[in-house]
Amino acid sequence: MIRELADSPLYGIVNPESIVIFGASNKYTAMGTSLLASILSLGFPGPVYPVHLKEKEVLGLGAYASLEEIPDIPGLAIIVLPTGVVAEVLDACGKKGIRHAIIVSGGFVEVGEDGARLQEQIKDIAKKYGIRFLGPNCIGAVNTHGKLNATYFSYEQKPGFIGMASQSGSFITQMFAYLKKYGLGFSSGFSVGNEADIDIVDCLEYLGACPDTKVIGLYIESIRRGREFIEAARAISVKKPIVAYYVGGTDAGKKAGLSHTGSLAGPDAVYDGVFAQSGVIRARSMEELFDFCWCFGTCRLPAGKRVLIQTHSGGPGAVAADACARAGLTIPPVGKDTKTLLAPYLPSTGSVNNPVDFTFIKRNTDYLADIPDILVKDKGTDAMLMYMMMPRQLVLRAMEAFGITGDAALVESDKFIDEQAALLAKRILSADKTFVGFSYYTGENRFISSMYEHGAPVLPGPNRAARALGAMARYVDLKKKILSQG
Amino acid sequence: MKNNIKSLSEHESKRLLAGYGIPVTREILAHTGAGAVAAAREIGFPVAVKACGKTLVHKTESDAVFLNIGDEAGVNQAFERISENLSARIDGVLVQEMVTGIRELVIGLHREPHFGPCVMLGAGGVTAELINDTSFRVAPIDEIEAGDMMNDLASRAMLESFRGQAPVDRKSLCRCLTAMGQIGLEHDEVYEIDINPMIIKNDGQICAADALVVVRGKN
Repeated sequence: MIRELADSPLYGIVNPESIVIFGASNKYTAMGTSLLASILSLGFPGPVYPVHLKEKEVLGLGAYASLEEIPDIPGLAIIVLPTGVVAEVLDACGKKGIRHAIIVSGGFVEVGEDGARLQEQIKDIAKKYGIRFLGPNCIGAVNTHGKLNATYFSYEQKPGFIGMASQSGSFITQMFAYLKKYGLGFSSGFSVGNEADIDIVDCLEYLGACPDTKVIGLYIESIRRGREFIEAARAISVKKPIVAYYVGGTDAGKKAGLSHTGSLAGPDAVYDGVFAQSGVIRARSMEELFDFCWCFGTCRLPAGKRVLIQTHSGGPGAVAADACARAGLTIPPVGKDTKTLLAPYLPSTGSVNNPVDFTFIKRNTDYLADIPDILVKDKGTDAMLMYMMMPRQLVLRAMEAFGITGDAALVESDKFIDEQAALLAKRILSADKTFVGFSYYTGENRFISSMYEHGAPVLPGPNRAARALGAMARYVDLKKKILSQG
Repeated sequence: MKNNIKSLSEHESKRLLAGYGIPVTREILAHTGAGAVAAAREIGFPVAVKACGKTLVHKTESDAVFLNIGDEAGVNQAFERISENLSARIDGVLVQEMVTGIRELVIGLHREPHFGPCVMLGAGGVTAELINDTSFRVAPIDEIEAGDMMNDLASRAMLESFRGQAPVDRKSLCRCLTAMGQIGLEHDEVYEIDINPMIIKNDGQICAADALVVVRGKN
């Protein structure tokens, strides 16, 4: 285990002073060019030196015909070259004094024996010079807070709080746009590739120590340093939640052996155990992994499993209650004090059971402000789920009732929606209870997109919200267990 | 490597487990009919009489187990049957106390690539694989972790009072699970272990009614 961030081999990879890149040209058909374009578009603050045999300029930067000509020892080398020349270039990097590299190039152990030999060769070279490297056969790394995006997709949102390490490059790069939809983003992200040197355990340790990372996401196909993973995850998970999505654990791994145990021990069941003893929360899909990260990064942890549901629509409330029960949560009756406080807001058709279903709301602000203020103070529950929907059409109709029409109504309705979202987001983020919103609307709806912008978790649908609450409750239990083990 | 894997007999397996404090049946290995009868008398009727040998892995499938024998004639008969069918493959006949209980667990150990020895707890008996209700942990585990494994089981209710039976002695089950991990860490030659069934008796005590230790030879 590393003691601090700077001890990690990844520190130099995503916090370099300067970068040399091999394989970028002025042609966007080259992967290296896209990668350099990403570095430039996120605005990496240090010098970037493209090395190119023929071009004098690459994407507007002065290019160097060789590494020797660069008047600096770059902090990081990014290699996006054909397999055959990687070893030679890495050796030159070592001679130059470079100690960190990202090797994007493929064609190594993943293609067979010849590739495996080449991979051993680059490992030997790295060892000789003390170079630490990510890859080969990876998509790169990103540190949004440090304005470094060394991947070939551009990162177009604010720096985020999710630290991600992935055994598939796609789940770093292609997730930029997915997360952006919800107002989320990565703090740092690593595509580990073949893990010839730096592996997913190193990434976990880095993210554990990284102050910009509130929650860690892992996409795992196989952990090679299993025992080190458990040790690192146990030390980190009591301070910072870790969510993992594991694939590859099918029954194909089970063996027909002499014992029952051998035939029962599929890798999927073993990973369940590994995660349970490491304090890691297991997600069942990438969407779920990010749902969990979203809530862990924005919500207070629940003190227990009792959930209060606020809705003005019967179906979504009932689905939320059903999903909560399936997620191991309970829906206790509303306490007497809370009932008394709610009475003035409740129409004759409403119900003060749990879900608290208002069926009809006299004033929008009752539902969005007064009522949640009462519910978050309810002493008999640990978490709150709130159904949200505010279609513009309904707001416009309300405006019309007040005599506001035409363009004025459009302007006023947007203003009203934005104001209400800002206030509710503030309530959610400062609540003393775990507070998660859910809606069948997403970013296409102004109210919901405004909630996202303010950083409030409004999950798509009650099932996903309930699963996320269940994950938080599970995390609290696992953390308690690990702390009790000393 | 496969060629180097062999199993210990039930008796040898249980002796290894008992050495780590895992509760096993009282039993005596007999080589003659008279010896089996004497063993049964010492243990007390009713008894189970089983063929005992290294190559007998799934005994229930090869007519090698006779349960609930109430008298000496029964013991003699069982001894004869086993000797006729299996004499070439056995070390002797194992006479053991009959352990009764309607709840059966399986406890196991296997080695997982990249993780090392792993302990398993599951719903046991002959249908263990069909039911497939298990929980695994990488060794070593402490008693808190062992308790967490029990909570993982879908059939965990069987560990509580169930149909007039006492709740399982959790402490004893926890110690048994931690001991399995210890065996995995201390005995590199132990490749896999099955305790199936680990019977939960009416009074909540647990007892290994059958056990199999698979060992691997040194290369």
